[in-house]
Amino acid sequence: MRARTPLAVSALLVLIPLLVAAFGPLISIGAKPGLPYEKSGFLGTDGLGRDVLSLLLTGGRTALGMALGAVVIAYLIGGLIGLIAASTRHRWVDEALIRPLDVLLPLPSLLVISVVAVGWRASPLAITLAVAMVNVPTVARLVRAAALDAASGPVVEALRMQRESWAGIHLGYVGRAVLGPVAADIGTRITLAVFLVASVNFLGLGLSPTAPDWAVSVSRNREGLLLQPWAVLAPALLLVSFTLGFNLLADRLVHRTRRLVEAKS
Amino acid sequence: MRSYAGQRAALAIVQLAVLSILVFVLTALLPGDAADMRFTETLTPEQIAQLRAQLGLDQPALERFTHWFGNVLTGDLGTSLISGGPVRDIVKASVGATLVLTLATLAVVVPLAVALGILMGARENGRLDRTITSVTLALSAIPDFVIAVVLVALFSLKLGWLPATWVGGSLLANPVLLVLPVAVLLGRTVCLLSRQVRAGTINALHADYVVQARRLGVPRRRLLLRHVLPNAAVPGVQELARTGDTLLGGVLVVEAIFAIPGFATALVDGVETRDVPVVQGLTLVLAVAALLINLGADLVCNRLVPRTELLR
Repeated sequence: MRARTPLAVSALLVLIPLLVAAFGPLISIGAKPGLPYEKSGFLGTDGLGRDVLSLLLTGGRTALGMALGAVVIAYLIGGLIGLIAASTRHRWVDEALIRPLDVLLPLPSLLVISVVAVGWRASPLAITLAVAMVNVPTVARLVRAAALDAASGPVVEALRMQRESWAGIHLGYVGRAVLGPVAADIGTRITLAVFLVASVNFLGLGLSPTAPDWAVSVSRNREGLLLQPWAVLAPALLLVSFTLGFNLLADRLVHRTRRLVEAKS
Repeated sequence: MRSYAGQRAALAIVQLAVLSILVFVLTALLPGDAADMRFTETLTPEQIAQLRAQLGLDQPALERFTHWFGNVLTGDLGTSLISGGPVRDIVKASVGATLVLTLATLAVVVPLAVALGILMGARENGRLDRTITSVTLALSAIPDFVIAVVLVALFSLKLGWLPATWVGGSLLANPVLLVLPVAVLLGRTVCLLSRQVRAGTINALHADYVVQARRLGVPRRRLLLRHVLPNAAVPGVQELARTGDTLLGGVLVVEAIFAIPGFATALVDGVETRDVPVVQGLTLVLAVAALLINLGADLVCNRLVPRTELLR
């Protein structure tokens, strides 16, 4: 078996930005502008004269929270659609649920999110919902494909003969069978969502340009990268650490499910 | 075969119709129109109302949609509310840079990803495979704009080897301008694609017919190119179509960073100035392009491996 990054490392990569995002705002005194542009303090100040450290502590909530929220919503909606489509015995229900999503697939996602972000005046909720909506079609298809395997197997027939309830069969058995591929997908999907949210914010179409968000800080301070590298690199590193950690965790899960499948066959 | 293509094309036409409605609704939902955006401080309310009537913004949404859709069908994308010129000219002016950027990226990405994918897949779990996998895994975790910012700082500001922004002139006449943008776009797409090709290669290599071919003594090179590659390419081609979305997002960011006057720049301007016809036109063209790419990818896959049931 190939040598893999230890689980602890991947977990740490995810946890550090997550903890900073979750508890940072409690410690930070707030990122107020007006400090001199210099290397004073732990990480110095940024172009607006804000302390980089407090910027980091307050900026994670939007950067990660919006992406995580979007993935959760996408799975709540897309997952339910996928499960129903896979487990229905009426073909038209399946068609009626999945076909409309096929139509949505080719819409360029960054575009949709940008338009929504500008339209709703950069409300974090609107951006989160837009990112979620963009992900619903793929999630629904993935869950449907994974659930079809389980739902058409003999176990479901047996459960049905034992007069198990619909919810008992589909949420209890099929839902659990779907968890493997879903867990692996969540890792990559969170990465994608973080990228989408960050890209919109970076382009200046999302949150206001003075928001303490990590992506916004990278965008704002990029001209000063050589003068004050930490104002750019620190938020960028936190973002990368988060996505890299999730990528590694997803990779590990993919391999584990594959090994399980191989062991079964 | 023909019926598959026919069915798939029919789906594409339905998609197109629904997409155009979606594009219209989405852009019509933007609060505040071009009349508000332009002159609120210098004009009286009456003048704004007059301007709005002149721009056709006072009509009900359904009427505007039928008008717009009818025009789109004849190839007329409308008139920009800000510049007053036809949207088609704006599309034409901006499509070049984006197209060059995208094609240049693809020209590098596709051969590189296929080569890397086969290389990795053919030596599954070998040292080379593990090294490339780790590198691609790490690279795909870095957002485009972070790569861009670091590359610009390093190669343009510090070393002064490459230009940091577009300085006028055509991209084709000045290929040096393309180096950094393409390098930025390369990162994630190569990672995503090569991983798919790798998975496809591994699956194909374990398939019974390849084992049998090997048993019959088919040379390894012929085996890989003739028997494995077409099957391995299927997830790759599908991923390529889906990567189109990632790539497009990347192009938007890259154009903004390097100040390339392409589609993305026109789009961001249009959204910011509420120039609805421009946004609609550009979005529609992009959506149609994405749709055609998806259609093309499905047809190519069907051609490569006719048994794939992409359309249930």
